Amino acid sequence: MLELEHITKRFGGLPAVEDLSFRLRSGEVLGMIGPNGAGKSTAISLIGGALAPTSGTIRFQGRDITRLAPHQRALLGIARTFQITQPFAQLDIRENVIVGALFGGGVRSRARAARRADAVLERVGLAHKARLKGDELTVADRKRLEMARALATNPQLLLLDEVMAGLTPREVGEAVGLIREINQSGVTVLVVEHVMRAITGVSDRILVLHHGRKIAEDAPDAVLSDPRVVEAYLGERYARQRAADQARRGAETGSAAFDPPTPDDTWKEGLV
Amino acid sequence: MAKPTPDREIEADAALALAPRESKDWRWSLGLGIVILAVIGLIPLTGDQSALGMWTFIVMYCVLAQGWNFIGGFAGHAAFGNVAFFGIGAYTVSLVLERNMPYLLGLVLAPIIAGLFAFLLGLPVLRLRGHYFAIATLGIAEALGQVIQSKNVGGTAGEISLNPPGLNFELTNSLFFYGFLVLSLLTLLGTTWLTRSRFGYALVAIRENEQAAEALGIATYWYKVGAFVLSALPTAVAGGLFAYWQLSFDPVGEGGAFDVSISVAMVLMTFLGGAGTILGPILGAIIIEYLDQYTSISFTAIHGPLLGVLIILVTIFLPQGLIRLVQELIRAPAGVKQSYPMRVRQGVRRVTRFILSNGI
Repeated sequence: MLELEHITKRFGGLPAVEDLSFRLRSGEVLGMIGPNGAGKSTAISLIGGALAPTSGTIRFQGRDITRLAPHQRALLGIARTFQITQPFAQLDIRENVIVGALFGGGVRSRARAARRADAVLERVGLAHKARLKGDELTVADRKRLEMARALATNPQLLLLDEVMAGLTPREVGEAVGLIREINQSGVTVLVVEHVMRAITGVSDRILVLHHGRKIAEDAPDAVLSDPRVVEAYLGERYARQRAADQARRGAETGSAAFDPPTPDDTWKEGLV
Repeated sequence: MAKPTPDREIEADAALALAPRESKDWRWSLGLGIVILAVIGLIPLTGDQSALGMWTFIVMYCVLAQGWNFIGGFAGHAAFGNVAFFGIGAYTVSLVLERNMPYLLGLVLAPIIAGLFAFLLGLPVLRLRGHYFAIATLGIAEALGQVIQSKNVGGTAGEISLNPPGLNFELTNSLFFYGFLVLSLLTLLGTTWLTRSRFGYALVAIRENEQAAEALGIATYWYKVGAFVLSALPTAVAGGLFAYWQLSFDPVGEGGAFDVSISVAMVLMTFLGGAGTILGPILGAIIIEYLDQYTSISFTAIHGPLLGVLIILVTIFLPQGLIRLVQELIRAPAGVKQSYPMRVRQGVRRVTRFILSNGI
């Protein structure tokens, strides 16, 4: 559905994303993780069109969209959320979502756009706050609003940029449930996230970025036990020590390859 | 009835925020706008020619502020050169009359030429953001005035004198007054349509967050160009009425058709009344232009300072405009029964909170 081919984005001389290639299959949930500054949000902006790549090609449903403006991509069915939420501050929640339906969603009449907005708000759990203004919301609700607005455009591909950052564990659980449900309704999803537990639970595959480069792309479990990933997240020294620990335990029990979750694995959950 | 506790007031506030209800504000605004214009429309019946002159200016500024509201209020782009459209309208009509062609032709050509100019100008300048856009529009309007000044058509320094329409004096004045009034009414209807339309939603979304608007599928650039053209149309017709009413066209200088203070007035009036609202520009124009005319005649000494202080107070305490204040006062919680005094008390409380949250 979506293909990135050798995408590079430099700011000045500084590469934010370098030679990134990956494919998103129709109907899947792809997680994208990486330490701070790895280029995750840049990748989202490149796909959404807010940034133009320095080189490389982006294809959506077989069509080259590298040079299309963000609104043109939205009309093709690519919707995104913003890591730093961008509500229409002086419009109420319902109107925020109506805008999504009216334009990206291609609904011409205001009345029908309002009906779709109400349905979407119900779905993300904001219906009872429909009259609050965009700048009167809690963090969790602002993230929900981002999702609601994107959903109102009736997307085929949904790009979620850290919609779970700053949420409580319970809210993370709700968000994960919502993403699953959206995916099951036929929407392909790219989730960029810092909250490790959330993303492993919801993703079919995970892609890891480090210093703008892809260092791993595989099933969640495989990615998390990849030494390069551990190193990228926790530093070289920790990775060496962990490998040594595992080797020792392997020597003791004779099963180094398939060791069960140990206290060492808590880092995966602790990262937020 | 028990004395309402603060708790209950908070509950009422919460209910207000949560109640899903369709806004019918626009009907009130449109109705009130029509009533205001209708009442102003009675002024020629008094036969007082100096009052008529003053109110013709006021209604003209209503139109100018309403025109600016499209690009400045709805799309949120601080255009400081809208006087260019006014000047183009005045110049077009003057040239048409100077060649002894019918006045109506001039009034039709004025918005067409100004709209075309807004389109061609908008293409480059609407790629600029914030202050750069403001400065570019300001500079271009000023430059346009200078260019026209350098071309002598009917007099010195670009001036053109026009022959009077050949009707009696009182009738002529009344006709121009009603011309402006009808124009203001049409713009009022246009604005009301805009607040309900897809186009209007796009402009407001651009004002509130251009990046998000673009990501949601709004072709922001073209909608901004559209808003710019829209704001040129009534402004140019007003310029065309102004030139013939004054029987002269003077491009630059105080009271000239390209005078930068006209641009500033449009911005001020719209902000005082309420940018991006239906009624705001009309209210703002009436208040400021009335004060301006009144004090310049009766209190010449404090004329400047008074307006200056007004501008400062509005910027600090009421950047959202008077309309927002009224909305805050009357917005009533749905589904919560309240006694009249309690509603007034809560309204006043909300307004105070609102003003204080702006200021200091």
